[in-house]
Amino acid sequence: MTATTATPENAEAPRKLPDPGGDLRPGGAAVLRSALSRTWVQAAAVAAVLVLAAALPLPGGVTAFPGGPGEWLDGRLKELFSWVVSNRDTSPLFVYGFNYVSVYLGSAVVLIDDLLTALTWTGVTVLGVLAAWRLAGWRVMLVVLAAFAVFGLFGLWEEAMETLALITAAVLLALLVGLPLGIWSGRSDRAERVMRPVLDFMQTMPAFAYLMPMLLMFGIGNPSAAVATAIYALPPAVRITSMALRGVDKGAVEAAESLGSTRLQMLLKVRLPLAKRTIMLGVNQTIMLGVSMVVIASVIGAGGLGDAVYQALQKDRIGLALEAGLAIVMLAISMDRVTGAIGHGRPVPPPWKRLAFGAGLVAALAVFLLPTPLRAVDGWPRGWELDLATPAQAFYEAMKDTIGPFTSALGDWTVVWVLEPLHAVLAGAPWWLVIAAAAVLGGLFAGRRAAAVGVLSLLAMGLMGQWGNGMNTLSQVLLATVLVVALGVVLGIGMSRSDRAAAVVRPVLDAMQTLPPFVYLIPAVALFSVGRVPALVAAVVFALPPVIRLVNDGIRGVPANTVEAARSLGSSSSQLLAKVQLPLARSSLLLAVNQAIMLILSMVVIGALVGGGALGYDVVFGLKQNEFGTGLTAGLAIVCLGLLLDRMTQGRKNNA
Amino acid sequence: MRRTTATRTASIAVKGAAAVSAMAVLSACGGATSSDVAGSDETVRIAVNGWVGYEASAAVMAYLLEEEMGVKVDQQKIDEQPSWQGLNDGDLDVILENWGHEDLMEQYGPDGNGTVVDGGPNGNTGTLGWYVPKYLVDEKPELATWEGIKDNTDLFKTPESGDKGEFLAADPAFVTQDQGMINHFDMDLKIVHAGSEAAQITEMQERYSKEEPFLAYFYDPQWLQSEIDLVHVEFPEYEEGCADDEEDVSCGYPQYDLNKIFSKEFADADSPAYRLLKNWEWTNEDQNEVAKMIADDGMDPEEAAEKWVTDNGDVWKDWIPADA
Repeated sequence: MTATTATPENAEAPRKLPDPGGDLRPGGAAVLRSALSRTWVQAAAVAAVLVLAAALPLPGGVTAFPGGPGEWLDGRLKELFSWVVSNRDTSPLFVYGFNYVSVYLGSAVVLIDDLLTALTWTGVTVLGVLAAWRLAGWRVMLVVLAAFAVFGLFGLWEEAMETLALITAAVLLALLVGLPLGIWSGRSDRAERVMRPVLDFMQTMPAFAYLMPMLLMFGIGNPSAAVATAIYALPPAVRITSMALRGVDKGAVEAAESLGSTRLQMLLKVRLPLAKRTIMLGVNQTIMLGVSMVVIASVIGAGGLGDAVYQALQKDRIGLALEAGLAIVMLAISMDRVTGAIGHGRPVPPPWKRLAFGAGLVAALAVFLLPTPLRAVDGWPRGWELDLATPAQAFYEAMKDTIGPFTSALGDWTVVWVLEPLHAVLAGAPWWLVIAAAAVLGGLFAGRRAAAVGVLSLLAMGLMGQWGNGMNTLSQVLLATVLVVALGVVLGIGMSRSDRAAAVVRPVLDAMQTLPPFVYLIPAVALFSVGRVPALVAAVVFALPPVIRLVNDGIRGVPANTVEAARSLGSSSSQLLAKVQLPLARSSLLLAVNQAIMLILSMVVIGALVGGGALGYDVVFGLKQNEFGTGLTAGLAIVCLGLLLDRMTQGRKNNA
Repeated sequence: MRRTTATRTASIAVKGAAAVSAMAVLSACGGATSSDVAGSDETVRIAVNGWVGYEASAAVMAYLLEEEMGVKVDQQKIDEQPSWQGLNDGDLDVILENWGHEDLMEQYGPDGNGTVVDGGPNGNTGTLGWYVPKYLVDEKPELATWEGIKDNTDLFKTPESGDKGEFLAADPAFVTQDQGMINHFDMDLKIVHAGSEAAQITEMQERYSKEEPFLAYFYDPQWLQSEIDLVHVEFPEYEEGCADDEEDVSCGYPQYDLNKIFSKEFADADSPAYRLLKNWEWTNEDQNEVAKMIADDGMDPEEAAEKWVTDNGDVWKDWIPADA
């Protein structure tokens, strides 16, 4: 994505550079910059008005959004909830609909889990490693082997298998629904237009907010967890399939058409096979999202690794939580590498080899399902265990003692001097003024449409009774975004300057993205004390990796000859960076900001588990206290913030 | 949790067949009620709410059911409210430690859906309330009363609570009336939501180790109570009706006689497993003993239960139903 959006600018770049006198500032960019600075002046004026208004001693009735509509909505949602509770066993919707889905899904998860149990750890390892070798080569096979070793050595084998069963069922469900929808949307523009906002919605709605309705519809435990995971993991399957079909080479399609193929033949014999690799990337993304959701699903009774993390934290066992967290990272990385390798397309071996391999698999299955001595019915040997928890715990204690005083002072400073003032401005100014400010800023940075979307989202948030919480969450999200972008740009530049640094950083970024945030939430509490700061820290850790990557890609994407030209004109490396590389990577940077905001929003609910409060807290409260209305409106309010911030940071698409 | 692999493998065929036949039956008669969803094997399904004391009770019950009576047990980790829904839907059989929840009893009990029944006390007494660390009370004895807290809210100021004192609230799943109490007694306190029990406990431990002041919602029996010294803050005693208006609560929390909740179906079937659970009654000390082994000594819940059961034969042998 980065590469394609950067092309137009790159193409122009060499023409602009050789300016007389070695001044690297190109004429076009100067105009752009002065326009920008005018935009920034106007934006600053808007901010000043907000600050002034917030400083005025206005009565609460003026600043707060009127509460009536929110209360009305909450009442209706309460009624809906009671209706469902008292009609679950009589309404045809449940008797013929949801309850069936629940029975089948529940049984599917149990059957997969039972199969994995019956194979025992020896069987699962042999079959898994064989499959990885065949599908993805010996390097990936080693990764998979390492993952199985980690499960066993940390004493988490059963938990890992439970999680694997749940992910498998959920991903199958997501693909069963997602691939056909993707095909449809790839073949019909109208379908795509309808589906895009729905998918956007699914991706911004916090999963916690729909866990509760899932419980209502599908009951507790695995069925709900599987559906929630499937919903969460569905969007990339649809999007990437659609994109893949649209990207199929026109020539091949025309050739097949001229041979008189029917529409169905076209799809099955031409389009799908040609799009296969890209579609596999969608499957890969679906699996990755599934893995990250499985941890969250432990809140509604899904067992496995996610639950292990959760339980360990409950007892203040950071080390144990880390072990379970690492097991999840290994599971995620091996599933990623295997499906990724399929997506990148390995040469297909001759039929006899495939046949031999298939026969081998069947034989192995038989060996491990029949009572042969190779089965390890007693489970992973108790002696073979690796204790990472104790050293990790010791490290954690030592860290608390050494940097604890410093971090807690930093945290206090952040609350008093940054978060609280920012919150006071947003919550202290009259609501209509905040909306007007959003409209003006939207208009300045992203055009009229974005401004309209922003105004409507803020209004909707107020009408749902979530204005106060929304402003609180907004202030946290804004600060987190500034931090992530600042850190991301610095680290991304560092990464782009040295290949060795890049090689070291990459696996760290992988781990940061797959380690369940739960694992570092509690250490963040110990270091910064409960409240908005640990929530902020967790959001920054989670959102940073993609920003670093995008900045790195963007800078590396600047054509070498442009860089050479600038160097030959005598620019220092800081000039090169400031005047050439960063401006040319602008579209990557914009995308990075946008991604950062979306990821930070997705952490709002997680942050509430350590004191972030506001919208996130209401979502959790709604789920845990069966307050359907509170949870749903808070979840929708997060979607509204997402819409507002997303549109504002996508830039002027049409007139840029 | 760590069920032996042998029993699980043995049960696979049975379970698979049961699941398939359940589906076949459903398809045949058309339509599934929520209790069909639960399937129909004779496993006892225990809801396990997220605190260690509960986990201790569940571990001991599961151990007795499996080892003494040969009944399969499935422990489901789940929050309080959804557990009731699980009983209602037939996904679960029993809640072992229920804290109040009159509203849910109304909704699902005999006067509502009629799907759950009160299983009587489990012998534990639950105390909810406001707690301060003992070193504060040693210094200022009045902090053990609400008047003392009211006069000293400044003591609890943190950056998060701004110019008010901080009241550290609990996991959002728990029963609370703190805001109503703050309103009624007109205290200059702001509730800071820790958001999860793990975060709250971490925060309390950190402050305790630095001997900093804090005021928090907490409860007993709870394993942390044996690790740090907390003092329960006295409020006017709970009486009927004093907490009805959640915006204005003129009393402290009630003492809870913690009780068991069964799904009606499970109770009506009157199986030996049900009778064991029905007979079970023990003390806070019993529970704390097991909870401490789990939380402090790092034992698996199964190991802790096994140790307790081995050491306390005289306590539990009366629970085993006569004909089992």
